[in-house]
Amino acid sequence: MSQKGFFTDTTVCIGCKACEVACKQWNQLPADGYELSALSYDNTRQLGASTWRHVSFMERAAPGGGGAADGLAWLMSSDVCKHCARAGCLEACPTGAIIRTEHDSVYVQPDVCNGCGYCVVSCPFGVIDRREDDGRAWKCTLCYDRLQDGLEPACAKACPTDSIQFGPLDLLRWRARERLAEVQAGGQPQAHLYGADPDRQPGTGGLNAFFLLADRPELYNLPPDPQAPSVHAGASWGSMALAAIGLAGAALGLAAWEAGA
Amino acid sequence: MSGPLSQTDRRGIDPALGALIGEAAGMRLADRPADGVRTTTPRALPVLSEPDPTYYDLPPIKPPVWVWAVPAYFFVGGVAGAASVLSGACQLLAPRRAEGLVRRARQLALAGDVAGSALLVYDLGRPSRFLHMLRVLRPTSPMSVGSWLLAGSGAANTAAVLLGGRPGLAGRLGGAAGLLAAGLGGPLAGYTGVLLAHTVVPLWSAGHRALPPLFVASAAGSAGWALALLAPPGPGRQIARRLAVGGTAAELVLGRAWERTVGRVPRVARPLRAGRAARLWRGSQVLAAGALLGAGLAVLAARRAASRSGRGGSRGSGAVVQGVASALGLLGSLALRWAVFQGGRDSAQDARATFHLQRARSGGAA
Repeated sequence: MSQKGFFTDTTVCIGCKACEVACKQWNQLPADGYELSALSYDNTRQLGASTWRHVSFMERAAPGGGGAADGLAWLMSSDVCKHCARAGCLEACPTGAIIRTEHDSVYVQPDVCNGCGYCVVSCPFGVIDRREDDGRAWKCTLCYDRLQDGLEPACAKACPTDSIQFGPLDLLRWRARERLAEVQAGGQPQAHLYGADPDRQPGTGGLNAFFLLADRPELYNLPPDPQAPSVHAGASWGSMALAAIGLAGAALGLAAWEAGA
Repeated sequence: MSGPLSQTDRRGIDPALGALIGEAAGMRLADRPADGVRTTTPRALPVLSEPDPTYYDLPPIKPPVWVWAVPAYFFVGGVAGAASVLSGACQLLAPRRAEGLVRRARQLALAGDVAGSALLVYDLGRPSRFLHMLRVLRPTSPMSVGSWLLAGSGAANTAAVLLGGRPGLAGRLGGAAGLLAAGLGGPLAGYTGVLLAHTVVPLWSAGHRALPPLFVASAAGSAGWALALLAPPGPGRQIARRLAVGGTAAELVLGRAWERTVGRVPRVARPLRAGRAARLWRGSQVLAAGALLGAGLAVLAARRAASRSGRGGSRGSGAVVQGVASALGLLGSLALRWAVFQGGRDSAQDARATFHLQRARSGGAA
C-alpha cells in the first residue's frame, strides 16, 4: 500500500465549509451547537473530538492590491489532522490504541482507548482531543472506512475547488511544487509549502497532510516549528537517570553514616 | 422531531431510516437539550501588520484534560518511590539500626503505590479500561513506561511488606522484593517529570532537562518528611529527617534552576510570574524554606534539651517543631507539583508562548 495523504492548496479555498459538513455527515459526528463566535466566518474555532475538519478565516490586506473595496481578503484554509510521519500522539499512546495504518495514516482505535489524555498534550497541532461525555480520544481517520473500499475521503470528494487533494504522497508533492512556483510567480512571493519536505520540518518527519500557505503559519494557527515531543527523549530520560542515581547515592550515604555512628 | 436536530442525538439521523455505522457513531453523547443559537460579543480582530500575530488568540495546541488527581499522583507517587529507595538503602547498609524505618518505608511505599494507582484510574476517561495500560510497552511514551514501573513497584512492595522480616525463604524473598522496589523507586519518582517534559505544553517542554531532577528532589524531601513523622522513634527518624532536609534544599536549588531555564523565552515563564500558578510556586518555596527552618530549630531545641538534662531531646517542644516542619515540607512539595501543573495549563492556553518558544528555537519551518 502506498503512502496516501492530503495536499491542501489554501490559495484556492473559497471557505464554503463543504469539507466540514461532509466530514460530519460521513462519520456521523454530533453537532457542536449553534454558536456564532464573532471570529470572522470561523464558528468552529478549532479541531476537536467531534470536529475533524475546521476552516479558518483570517482577514488581511489583499496581495497585489486586489480584494474587496476595502483592500481586504481572507486567508482561508481547511485544517485537519496532519497524519505526521513522526506522530506525537502515536508515540505517546500508552495503550497502543493509536496505530499507523497500511495507508500510512494515523488511526485511533476507539475500542482500545481508555481516555488517558496523553495524546492530547502530545500533538504539536492541537488536533486530537478527549471527548468529555464519551471519555475517549477521537480525530480524523483519513476516512479509513472509505479507503478500504477504494474511495477518497469525504472532504476531498466534497471540496468544489479541489483545494483538498487526496492521493499518493509523491504525486501530491510533485503537484504542490508546480503549484507553488505558479503562486509565487503570480504575485505571492511569501507563499510556501508547510510540511511537504521532511528536511524542513524535522520535528514531525514531514506531514502526510501538507499545505500550501500564502502567509506565515501563525496566521493559520499552525506552529512554525512543530516537534513530536519525543525529540527530547534522550535529554530528559538521561537527566532523570542521573537524578535517580543521585537519590540512590544519597540514601546509601545516609544509611552508611548512621550505621557507622 | 422538533427542529433540525433531535433532543438527544445531535447527529440528525432518524434511526428508522439511517444506520449508525459511521466511525463516530459509537461516540457517547451526554443527554442535553437541543441548543438554541448562541452568539458571542464581537471584539476587535487582530491587526495583521503587527509582528507577533496569533489566530484570534486561540492556542495552536490543546490544554491538558487531566484533573486534580494527576498532580496529586505526582506527589503521592514521588513519596512512594523515594520511600522505596530509602528503605532499600537502609536494608543494605543499616539493617539493624534502621529496621523500623525499613519496614515503615515499605508500608508507606505500598500505600503510595495503591493510592497513586487509584488516582490515575480516576482520571481516565474510561476508568473501566485501566488494564489497557498494560497492553503494550511503548518506550517512546513516558506514560507507558511509568504504568509498568508503577505496576512493578506495587507488586514488589506488596511482596516486601507481606514477606519481609519473616524467617527463612519468605524473609529472603521479601528482602529481594524490597531491593527490586528500591531499584524501581528512583525512576518512579522521576518519570513524572519526563512525562510532563514529553508534551507540547511550552512551560513543561522548555525545561525538559531540569524538570525530572526537580521532581526527584521534591519526592526525596516529601518522603523524608513523611517518614520523619511515621517511622518509629530512633535512628530511623534521624535518617528520614536528613533525607528530608537534603531533598528539600535540593528542591529549592533545582526549582530556581528550572525557573531560570523556562524563563529563557520570557513568554513561556509567564504563568510563574503572575496568576494562580505563580502564587502556588512562590508558596511552595516559602513552605520549603519554612520546613528547613523548622528542622533547624528542632535540632537546636534538641541540643539544648540534651545539654540541660543529659537526655536525647525527642520529647517536648522539639517534637512539635519537627512535626510542623514535616507538615510544611509535605505541603510545599504538593504545592510545587500543583504550581507546575497549573502553570502548564495556563501556558498551553497562551498562543504566544508556543509561537515564541518555537521561533526562538529555529526561526520557523516551512
